[in-house]
Amino acid sequence: MKQSFWKFFFLIWLVCISNASHALEVIEILGGKASQIPVAVIPFKDNNAQKSMQLMHEVITNDLNRSGLFSSIDISGVSDYPIDEREVNFSNWAALQSQFIVVGKIDAIGRSNSQMQVTWSLIDIYKEKTVLSVAIKGQPSQYRVIAHRIADTIYEKLTGSKGVFDTNIAFVKKLGKEKYSLFIADYDGHNPRAIVNSRYSIISPRWSPNGKKIAYVSFEKKKPVIYVQDIETGKRTLLANFRGNNSAPAWSPDSKKLAIVLTYSANSQIYTIDADGKNIKQLMRTRSINTEPAWSPNGKEIYFSSDRAGSAQIYKVDVDTNEVVRVTFEGNNNVSPSLSPDGKLLLFLNQDNGSYRVAIQNLLSNQMLKLTNGPDDESPIFSPNGHMVLFTYKDYGKVTKIGTVSINGLKMTPIDVGSETILESTWGPLSD
Amino acid sequence: MRLSWLENNDNLQANLFTLVIHLALFIFMIFSVNWQVKTPYYAEVELWDAIPTQIKPKPLIKRATPKVQKPQPSIAEKIVEAKKDADIQLKKKKAAELKKKKAAELKKKKAAELKKKKAAELKKIEQLKKKALEEEKLAELQKRLLEDEEVEKVQKKLLEQDDLERLQEELRNKDLAKETRIAIEGTQDLVAGTNSGELEKYKALIQQKIYQNVNKQLCGLDPLELIFEIVLMPTGDLIGGAKMIKSSKIESCDQAVERAILQAQPLPMPQDNRLFSQLKKLKLKFQPNGPIN
Repeated sequence: MKQSFWKFFFLIWLVCISNASHALEVIEILGGKASQIPVAVIPFKDNNAQKSMQLMHEVITNDLNRSGLFSSIDISGVSDYPIDEREVNFSNWAALQSQFIVVGKIDAIGRSNSQMQVTWSLIDIYKEKTVLSVAIKGQPSQYRVIAHRIADTIYEKLTGSKGVFDTNIAFVKKLGKEKYSLFIADYDGHNPRAIVNSRYSIISPRWSPNGKKIAYVSFEKKKPVIYVQDIETGKRTLLANFRGNNSAPAWSPDSKKLAIVLTYSANSQIYTIDADGKNIKQLMRTRSINTEPAWSPNGKEIYFSSDRAGSAQIYKVDVDTNEVVRVTFEGNNNVSPSLSPDGKLLLFLNQDNGSYRVAIQNLLSNQMLKLTNGPDDESPIFSPNGHMVLFTYKDYGKVTKIGTVSINGLKMTPIDVGSETILESTWGPLSD
Repeated sequence: MRLSWLENNDNLQANLFTLVIHLALFIFMIFSVNWQVKTPYYAEVELWDAIPTQIKPKPLIKRATPKVQKPQPSIAEKIVEAKKDADIQLKKKKAAELKKKKAAELKKKKAAELKKKKAAELKKIEQLKKKALEEEKLAELQKRLLEDEEVEKVQKKLLEQDDLERLQEELRNKDLAKETRIAIEGTQDLVAGTNSGELEKYKALIQQKIYQNVNKQLCGLDPLELIFEIVLMPTGDLIGGAKMIKSSKIESCDQAVERAILQAQPLPMPQDNRLFSQLKKLKLKFQPNGPIN
């Protein structure tokens, strides 16, 4: 009786299994890799265009490579350059492991051929179709800007985030004894132009989120004071010249306020101040040092470094309630915080075994990733899309230089701005 | 009474039995029978360099020359008689002496002969001994050779046996596979049960190949899910691309995952038709930023 029951049960089970086998098989793929999209940028076919225009594909390739999300395909062995989808041999490009190719042509237009028109396409090799096809006009002298914009368009199409190749950076250069200059340049270091020249050291340049102003610390009053300068007009105003040191300006996301650090009453403390220098307020009152403020993108919190636990660590304070929470726990010291535009990543300097490295921490999982090897990396700041980091590093212990590192840690690229030492750097916002 | 106790005690019985068997084996190991069949080896004729001679030694005869005394001039008969007596006595003496000499000579001869014989015998013994030794050596060598041969034979046999066994096993496996296939083909209900290992294997292979291509950087940081459906050819290539059932709501992520599927072509596919039919149409579930809670 019992045996027959089990036999019956077994039969039922078999039937169930056989039924299940007829359903669609499901394969679950959990996670993925931090890989780079292989892309080939073919030299644009030039129809009587100027020579400089022929370098556009190099600018695009360098832009995409620097982001760490793309890897350029070596096309030195390719002889025929297609200019649109019809001319593309898909199997050949697939054999080169290329996922996308960028093709195009440059035509001279307008009166006496003074204008240029670049017609380019982004082609998907696996789907065998054109993803984007764009025509862009400009002066031959603007070829770098045009190339940056093409790279931005490709970047946005394939990553879903805005490209930062048409943005600016600012950096302070020590040009000689008592000769300091604050420069603005293209994001890759090209076209530098000085906006401040001083006999005194300039540090902590910070771009306002609306891109119109730059705040910086100058030592021209024999102590650090904070200036805000209009980029277009060059007009500057003294924002903070209080008793003690005035340093570390940080713009609020709406560009209306700044967080600054004063040694007004003994040690370094964080204050907030309106962009016109009014309405100064101390954020917290503690005996420990609180410095290097950085706003969260929603403007509700300020991240800062403090020695309240013995070593320097990063904390955040609620601007309204003044409630403080510790954020970093790994490493001997963690300093110089800043937030990614989506507020999900914290960027900072991590100090372990005597060397300072650029690191990021996922604020959801609290996982930390060291992006650079140090040993003397400084002033890290996110690119406006949060995919790259600009920072300064010591070149074999000699001159301080600047470079970018992708937040996946896959690509570190120096920015060539000359042989002089760099004091500090910052990244400007996206241009409208 | 005691015997019945032993009969009742199974454990002890077993132990005793084991002990006896072990003892028997031990004894057998010590006084083992030589199973080896000794094949007779070739008889060998040895040519001796020096054959012990049986030839009698030449008698060493010393012809003793009798001393002849010159007859003295007869003057008186007495003297003659006396001389005659003396002569006879001398003759007698001489004869005795000769006899003695002859006996001694014979003795000597005999002794020499004996000595020689003894030496020859000794030599013979020695040679015999030598021969025996050589023979022994030879025998040993032969034995060793034979043993080697035997070992080789045994090894060969074993190898052959191994091969045979392997072959048999292969055959058996083949039969089993055949049987399985027959079973699969016969009773469809059993398919999932008997073949799930292979199915899982191919699912894992497909999963691995697609995973390699998923670029999760294009999917932001938040947990999200995408579902695609694909139809495959037996070659592992897609028929009509990948159909998105559920979007991540991030275009770059959707695209990246779709590319990952396309790029993974051809997907690993089983040769078996039955198995392929199960993998022909697949639902692919992606969670690039880890599992959704």
